[in-house]
Amino acid sequence: MAASAQRARPAWIGLWPILPALLFLGFLFLYPVAQLLWLSALDKASGDLTSAHYVRLFASPLYVKVLRITFEIAGWTTVFVILGAYPVAYYLATSSERRRNALMLWVLLPFWTSFLVRTFAWIVLLGRNGAINKWLQALGITGEPLDLIYNFTGVMIGMTHALMPLAVMTMVSVMENIDANLPRAASTLGARGGQAFWRIYFPLSLPGVAAAGLLVFITALGFFITPALLGGRLETMITQVIITQIQTMMNWAFGGAVSMLLLVAALIVFYLYDRALGMSTLAGSAAASQGEGRPNPVARLGAWAGGHVLDLLGRICDTVAGAWERVFPARPDRPRADRSRMVLTAVVALVIFFLAAPTFFIVPVSFTTDAFIEWPPKFFTLRWYQAYLDSPTWMSATVRSLMVATVAAFLAMLVGAPAAFILARRSMAGKTAAMALILSPLIIPRIIIAIALFYFYARLGLVGSSLGLVLGHAVIAVPYVVVTVMAVLKTYDERLDQAAGSLGANRVQTLWHITIPLIRTGLIAAFLFAFITSFDELTIALFVSGGLATTLPKQMWDDSLLKVNPTLAAVSTMLLVFVTALILSAEYLRRRAAAR
Amino acid sequence: MAGKDGITRIGKLEIGRRRILHLAGGATVALTAPAYWRKLSAQEKRIVIRDPGGPYAEGFTEAFHKPFKAATGIESIGVAGQHEPTSLIKGMVDTKNYTWDMALLTSAACDQLVAEGGYVEKLNVTSPNIESTPKDFKNEYFIGNNIFTTVFAYRKDAFKDKKPPSNWAEYYDTKNFPGRRALRKHPFDTIEQALLADGVAPDKLYPCDIDRAFKKLNTIKKDIKVWWEGGAQTSQMLKTGEVDLCPVWNGRAQTVIDEGAPVEIVWQNNLWSAEGWCIIKGTPKADMCREFIKFAADPARQAVWTKWISYGPAHPDAYKTIPEATAKKLPTYPANFKTAIKADAAYWSKNKDKVTEQFEAWLLS
Repeated sequence: MAASAQRARPAWIGLWPILPALLFLGFLFLYPVAQLLWLSALDKASGDLTSAHYVRLFASPLYVKVLRITFEIAGWTTVFVILGAYPVAYYLATSSERRRNALMLWVLLPFWTSFLVRTFAWIVLLGRNGAINKWLQALGITGEPLDLIYNFTGVMIGMTHALMPLAVMTMVSVMENIDANLPRAASTLGARGGQAFWRIYFPLSLPGVAAAGLLVFITALGFFITPALLGGRLETMITQVIITQIQTMMNWAFGGAVSMLLLVAALIVFYLYDRALGMSTLAGSAAASQGEGRPNPVARLGAWAGGHVLDLLGRICDTVAGAWERVFPARPDRPRADRSRMVLTAVVALVIFFLAAPTFFIVPVSFTTDAFIEWPPKFFTLRWYQAYLDSPTWMSATVRSLMVATVAAFLAMLVGAPAAFILARRSMAGKTAAMALILSPLIIPRIIIAIALFYFYARLGLVGSSLGLVLGHAVIAVPYVVVTVMAVLKTYDERLDQAAGSLGANRVQTLWHITIPLIRTGLIAAFLFAFITSFDELTIALFVSGGLATTLPKQMWDDSLLKVNPTLAAVSTMLLVFVTALILSAEYLRRRAAAR
Repeated sequence: MAGKDGITRIGKLEIGRRRILHLAGGATVALTAPAYWRKLSAQEKRIVIRDPGGPYAEGFTEAFHKPFKAATGIESIGVAGQHEPTSLIKGMVDTKNYTWDMALLTSAACDQLVAEGGYVEKLNVTSPNIESTPKDFKNEYFIGNNIFTTVFAYRKDAFKDKKPPSNWAEYYDTKNFPGRRALRKHPFDTIEQALLADGVAPDKLYPCDIDRAFKKLNTIKKDIKVWWEGGAQTSQMLKTGEVDLCPVWNGRAQTVIDEGAPVEIVWQNNLWSAEGWCIIKGTPKADMCREFIKFAADPARQAVWTKWISYGPAHPDAYKTIPEATAKKLPTYPANFKTAIKADAAYWSKNKDKVTEQFEAWLLS
């Protein structure tokens, strides 16, 4: 065991890599935010301790109801995202590297269009006179336009679309490390396709599913623009209520109380998840079943039930496949087609089409002569591109956003990745508490973090500085980095490191030559999530910069005060082309280097 | 663009191309830039003014910022801040970090900052133009610049051979005026509209009879296709015909009409509010802000920005220099203002907490 080498030193010294993350979040998140939330326990006028705000929280059924709606929406979003993302991730992980990299570009498409543009794309695509309804009617499938938005369906489409790339990336980085020989070995031992998948491959991929589910669920809890623009009367998210309290009512105390309600509820869910399947799938080893951790009854029940469900799923699949073959027997004169792969390909194609749909729409719209984002576009003009490229405002906003996001993402990696190593590999006291702290920046609404940071920065003289913006963005990016890296480490075979060590490599050499190359995809995914989190962030930017330094989301938001015009589509298209070119050339260089 | 004329507008970062090259040049420059910004605003003869951005920014640059610099030597810099930035202003005052010196706010936001403990300065400034600005548009902390109003707009193609609705009662009459309707997912204005639709006389509107309003709202609840939350959403819906009828801020509807969509505004009993200048409490530049306020009260200057924003100038004399075609679109144009009702910010500042809670619970029930 690695621990034996350090027996002489106290155990906690070996845990130092987690300290930067804890200190970083403690200093820039916990301390300022706790001060703000503490207001919820004080009387506004006298400053005395009071429970009044919490009493009010439960006096009206409204807040608990909105909380329930928020959890329902986040829960369903997670279900749909995982269902859609799993086949794609599986397909990518089991394809050749060349195909995987090409398809990944498509999966990542939603990332490069700002949330504002994406949401308006859905409004126009799904509206009563939108493209989809027009096609459905033209094909005679429906007579009347369908209500695809301003209801639950619209919210699900928008949120699933926004969060699916996150899930695919997380799961691919885990699945890549699954040894392809294991399902093959199962087949050799007589398992049919269904059994081999459900009983061997699927359990091995669970850390990815768990990590993706956790990230998607918690991110979804904080959504408010998408549900506000695509939802109806019943789709009110708790973040909206908090923002109303903070901005319109200027009631920070009560806004803080509602935030505490959200935080506590989310942490309870996280705790239960952790007990039932969490740490055993996401971190540590499969602790519960191997007796290393505490075998708690919930986990044992979960494992027992899980095993039977998987067995059943495997049987169902094999029965269906068997029946299919009886109805359509394989023709001996033709090579046996891999039918399950064909079904998988079809499903993956559908999901990728869904992910790319708004982009297919945004690109043509950027050439429209109309002053609105509308379908069908009226061709042809380049004036929206000219408006973008000629404007120093847009240019500097783009450059600034790219730079802030890059630095913030590096910082988040630097702080988050070492912590992930400790959380994934070591047992330590208070691990759940550490995870809770690391996840909290995703649960606490951005506006709370923004105000807290403003007061904190004012004391440090950081208000209006890019450093302040970078630090603030890194705070909300760290959770993505930690969870993603933890997930990929879970499937990483630590014996490889030990082998390197026994061959004389020191720790740094092992990390640099063995570990990092093997978890590359996971690290890239983590970096991308951190980058996008910063690149698409508006609230913290508005507060910290006071509007003085423009970032791209702020410029887009500013530009669409009266209407969302096609400049935004042009900006998104440019970014898309830029990022795709960047990735393709990096890929080209890498391949050339590999060939040499 | 403003940059060409050497006017610095920080929110827009129009410092010229050389600066941009610097930015593109390296991370160091951009990351140290903020220190530069702060130095800027600490310098003499320069004030930073928050506005809502977009067309406001363009309009105010031409109407105020350029001529103000020429006339007084004080540079005024427009910065786009978030919607209802009361929290940020509170933060600035609490921590004495004056990123902004003054702000264009709704009178409701200004009232609130006063009520929360004086986060804005008393104006203490006067001039003939300030004197002659109507009393309704100003108080000791606030001087109106532009009047915006909530009207409703309809798609003309949806009422081709039918009589379109012409008041709030008809907006609520789904039987005689069928069509897809929207309402704002917020009690402000929506409560008043329901009461007007139920026959409450405009002068008896406040204090609002909330129970009566909800009773009226119940009659239309299931017929509302879209509950909108943002202004850009309303212009988009009117443009694409997602709804046939929509309560909307007049400026957003005007944008759609100006783009040639078959949309018409109904001005009957529109509910107006004022947006105007406030000085942030404790700013060392308060006196320069007062200079700006005097300058901005000039009706001839207010007439200029109406080219960009379809909101009504606070000073009536502005109409002397506004072309008739533009004037007809504005809320303070006499024909449009005739039946207008002042949205009572004082009523709402007292009741919004309770009524908002009730409204949100009603939506979910």
